[in-house]
Amino acid sequence: MANVNELMNGWGFGKQTAIGTANTTATIWRHTNLNTKPWAKVPVNEDDRAEIGKGHEFPTALFKSHYNMPTYEISKYASSEILAWGMAFSLGNVVVTGTGPYTYVIVPALGATNPTGLELPYFSFVQQIRPGGSAVLDEILVGCAIKGWKLSIKNSPGRASAMFSCECVATGQYTTPSGITLPAVATPHEFNAGMITALTVNGINYLTGGSGKQFVSMDASWENNFRPGFFPGSGTQDGYQIQGRFEWGDRAFAIQFVVRVQSGSTEYANLINQTTGTATITFTRDAQNSFTMTVQKMGFNVVELSNTDGIATLQITGVQLYDPTNGLLTVSVTTPQAGICQ
Amino acid sequence: MAAQLVFLESPQGDEIKEVEATPEKLSPLLSQGWHQVPAPAKHETVVLAPKEDK
Repeated sequence: MANVNELMNGWGFGKQTAIGTANTTATIWRHTNLNTKPWAKVPVNEDDRAEIGKGHEFPTALFKSHYNMPTYEISKYASSEILAWGMAFSLGNVVVTGTGPYTYVIVPALGATNPTGLELPYFSFVQQIRPGGSAVLDEILVGCAIKGWKLSIKNSPGRASAMFSCECVATGQYTTPSGITLPAVATPHEFNAGMITALTVNGINYLTGGSGKQFVSMDASWENNFRPGFFPGSGTQDGYQIQGRFEWGDRAFAIQFVVRVQSGSTEYANLINQTTGTATITFTRDAQNSFTMTVQKMGFNVVELSNTDGIATLQITGVQLYDPTNGLLTVSVTTPQAGICQ
Repeated sequence: MAAQLVFLESPQGDEIKEVEATPEKLSPLLSQGWHQVPAPAKHETVVLAPKEDK
């Protein structure tokens, strides 16, 4: 018996060399996780109830089917380390420079030109409870990928004002015991909403000027819409079929945000005039830790008058357009952590 | 401080370019499918000095 707060999570900050080749200890970090659940492994059996010839309708035998791995959420307060990691593994095209701190410039990979086609980088996920000779849990899941993420910013004190969570998928391949000695828990350089140094959406600056102090909250999200990865030769684990690839489908990038309504609010005009512009969000903690997300061309799909905690607000749904020159989205993260997605 | 330089390879794999590692310079290339590669074995970074007016 063990309390779940003994659960230790580690995962690859470096990418696996292949979907079936686990990260080594050198490229695995250990982080805390606001999601308190372990990542469940779900082998599925099937039976013969649908087959005639048995003399009755009841099942008589079990057959191994596949590993039906649920998605798993890594939920963190936003930090330079976790944002660099999440963006790199979910978007795919990464350039790194520097010798400490390191700056990662990241854009969504294109299927036509990505060296690994429709597949993103893979990482391994380690979960342990009392590892050692009598471990309650000690396993490494191999071939994990980021299905999607959500970045939330809101008016509130402390770390909860800037949250980042990732939905991850796994093939079903694992090794137990993991053979990994997890390092000490990392101390990420976290951001909060007070560290936002740029917040401009479609020509409206929400930090200074007439629309300063009007911002309430924002949710940005990315979804890779992976296709199922079962195919001939995809592999087995314990006699159960596992997935051998995660290929992105129609990816989706969504942004919704809320601002206070005021005399002269220009959001309605931007919607009606179909005005488009960049959207830039920057966190700056110090010279070693910063994050900038630039949406290259954004318009407004819906602007709805609403009520947020008693304040008249506008709830705005953005439309992120693909710019022919600069693409859809560019993320730049500076962090002390080397080797992310390398 | 001068921007750092990185090597990018074209989507077709037939060209390697040395580029300033700024989001403004990288975005158009990365969005077209250029990706980072290690520095070529033999390369020389030439900094062109501006011509003096005669």
